[in-house]
Amino acid sequence: MKGSLRAWRFRYIAAAGLFWLAATSACAESIEDLRDLSLDELANVSVSSVSKTRQALSDAPAAIFVITHEDIVRSGATTLPEILRLAPNLYVAQSSASDYAIAARGLSGNPGAVDFTNKLLVLIDGRSVYSPFYSGVFWDMQDVLPDDIERIEVISGPGATLWGANAFNGVINVITRRSGETQGLLAVADGGARERSGGLRYGGRLAENLTARLYLRGYDDAETLTPADARAKDDWWRVQGGFRLDWAPTARDALTFQGDLMNGRISASNAGDTLTRNRNLLARWTRAQDDGGSLELQTYFDRSGRDILQDGGRLWIDTYDFYLQHNDAPSGRDDFVWGGGVRASRFDTTGNASIYFKPPQRTLLLANIFAQYGWAFAPGAKLTLGLKAEKDPYIGVSLLPTARLAWKPAEPLLLWTAVSRAVRSPTPFDRDVVEARNNVPLLVGDSGFHTEKLTAFEAGTRVQATANAAFSVSAYYNLYDDLKALGITPVTIIPLHWENAIRGHAYGLEAWGDLSLAHWWKLRAGFSLLHEHFRFKPNESGFLPADRISNDPSRQATLSSSFNIGQGIFLDANFRYVGALSNPAVPSYCELGGRVGWRLTERLQVSLSGSNLLHKWHQELPADTANLVPRSILAGLKWRL
Amino acid sequence: MAPLTRLAGLALLASLSGAARAADLPLEYAVKASYLYKFAPFVQWPPAAFDAPTAPLSICIAGSDPFGPALSEVVHGQRVNGHPIVVRRVEAVHPGLACQILYIGGEDTGAALQAVAHEPVLTVTDHIRGAAGGMIQFVMMAGRVRFSIDQAAAQGSGIAISSKLLGLAVSVNR
Repeated sequence: MKGSLRAWRFRYIAAAGLFWLAATSACAESIEDLRDLSLDELANVSVSSVSKTRQALSDAPAAIFVITHEDIVRSGATTLPEILRLAPNLYVAQSSASDYAIAARGLSGNPGAVDFTNKLLVLIDGRSVYSPFYSGVFWDMQDVLPDDIERIEVISGPGATLWGANAFNGVINVITRRSGETQGLLAVADGGARERSGGLRYGGRLAENLTARLYLRGYDDAETLTPADARAKDDWWRVQGGFRLDWAPTARDALTFQGDLMNGRISASNAGDTLTRNRNLLARWTRAQDDGGSLELQTYFDRSGRDILQDGGRLWIDTYDFYLQHNDAPSGRDDFVWGGGVRASRFDTTGNASIYFKPPQRTLLLANIFAQYGWAFAPGAKLTLGLKAEKDPYIGVSLLPTARLAWKPAEPLLLWTAVSRAVRSPTPFDRDVVEARNNVPLLVGDSGFHTEKLTAFEAGTRVQATANAAFSVSAYYNLYDDLKALGITPVTIIPLHWENAIRGHAYGLEAWGDLSLAHWWKLRAGFSLLHEHFRFKPNESGFLPADRISNDPSRQATLSSSFNIGQGIFLDANFRYVGALSNPAVPSYCELGGRVGWRLTERLQVSLSGSNLLHKWHQELPADTANLVPRSILAGLKWRL
Repeated sequence: MAPLTRLAGLALLASLSGAARAADLPLEYAVKASYLYKFAPFVQWPPAAFDAPTAPLSICIAGSDPFGPALSEVVHGQRVNGHPIVVRRVEAVHPGLACQILYIGGEDTGAALQAVAHEPVLTVTDHIRGAAGGMIQFVMMAGRVRFSIDQAAAQGSGIAISSKLLGLAVSVNR
């Protein structure tokens, strides 16, 4: 930490002072909030939970954290990665003005070893947004108006059986509000010395059962500094607009149509600017059945592209996806879900002198079927068995089973345990890539590269200790096999190629708790611990030592406070501690964010929010590949018509 | 530094002794509880169902109770057609309970439903295959709580259900 010991203590006192001013308000989805809804609106409140069946969230046998609409709006966060910092079971680290590494339970990667974060499935309203190029997420291409987010379900642990491809270490499911819940005109503006954003959203009712909304959002962020205190020239902007239409032609049918258009531009100091584009269109139909079951059909088209100016490198993907799910309620408390899907991804790349793909165009097909049965074999106990068969691109079929046991010995206590298998399937970056310098290939993908595998053992508990206190603890033991490593070519050493050469294990603990000290003051605390160990498989070796494949903090902690003064003043603060990274080294750091919101009138709210307040600049990721993260203060305005 | 920490300690003590809210119900049960009192304006009971024009409208909860104290808190002070709403927990269902709405939780609904079969009681149950259903049954549909209505059973007990409520139901048994 920079600064003298005295300055350091002062920062802690300042943080404590902010907490003294903290408070809470009612959770956005409590019975109080439902009081003002009409019967129509009540019928449209979504209570779906992470297991895609009708369990109440508190009964789901998995480590789930839900970021509610209220959490998001009160945090003052304006982009999706900053909102995800609110989940105590995620590791979020910023590497440039637009780029983040986000992971759960380790394996966040090591960009210095060309190992990118690629083990999370991220969905926005059912549309998968991780890039099939390299299994990671281009966070600068995903935008949602924070006021339109209903909730974000963050599941740490393998969700492969139900959620599918790439749900290796976690699933992030972003769910937006139905258009019927976002009616009228909303104008939002935030501005500060570094960041500026503005959004406009209009929702209307076109007919008795037909509602729609349109939105437009612009975002602009200034450049950061390199670790050598030079200008990083990584400033960027993005504009996105879209619509959502919800139609309920009968009491049993619900249709949704959504689409977005995004254009953006990211500066770069050593290469040309990158232009980002996204166009997507999604349709979903849900039908209820007499016996309590339901059928859901979904299809979407997504076109994403990145063009690097100057040398003309391009990465474009067209994705066509179709998905079907049937929920059944066989008897009593049992549930049965089955379904399947098909996804075709058409890649179109133009390489440049330093990176290209061979072949430059390719269509990859992903298909899966799954079934999951939840058997309530005793009062308060349920055994869930699931299986997915997935046919991945490049590879044949993988079987992904899961078994989960949930037991509620008493109403406020849930104990659960699970064992699951997940895989990460190869991508063009693993198989078809060629990185070269002066026409000499340095790194090539390998046609023998196959799936990375995980067997996960998990257990946890969720306790509603008193009327005002609840906590959740999860522990896990992950066994990894066939993880990606850089291998050397015999004799010539280069080109390096990707090999499934590493195996290892990881174990850890995630815990978080909520405490309502008063109905206007709520505290939340969380921490996570992680231990990882990697080694080469017998008779394998690599270019780098085995422990270089991932650089994760062994511990993290968060503390946040929500405070209301009367009906119109909202104070929020959140504090985080992230442990040191070892390889390459990055020191541990503490940071503080906060927001003061003031409802001037029923329609107008102003706010002042800040992030990373404790230091003007700090380092979150290794200095060889990441820039410094700045302090940012924003003044905001929200006007409803 | 010292005055600040002393103030912080005082504030903490004050807030800990302050009134605290009931825990948040899981959303599915919050929605079902909300339905229970929101049904009332759309239902007409026979005159004999109430002792007086201002007699309370009782929502009785029998069987396994998933709602807790939250339901009682949210109906506090509300009225339907002049009747104040009260929530009562009943251990055993028998004739003469003087409930206007009866929610029977769990799978053991048959005995309770039979006990009030000839009384002007709006019975509400969860839809559980194999278990007897009430006049209104909660049905989960695509992650939302909906309901189906057995209008024939309601009419047999002298209860009239408004067409607005019938229109919202997933299915109606006339």
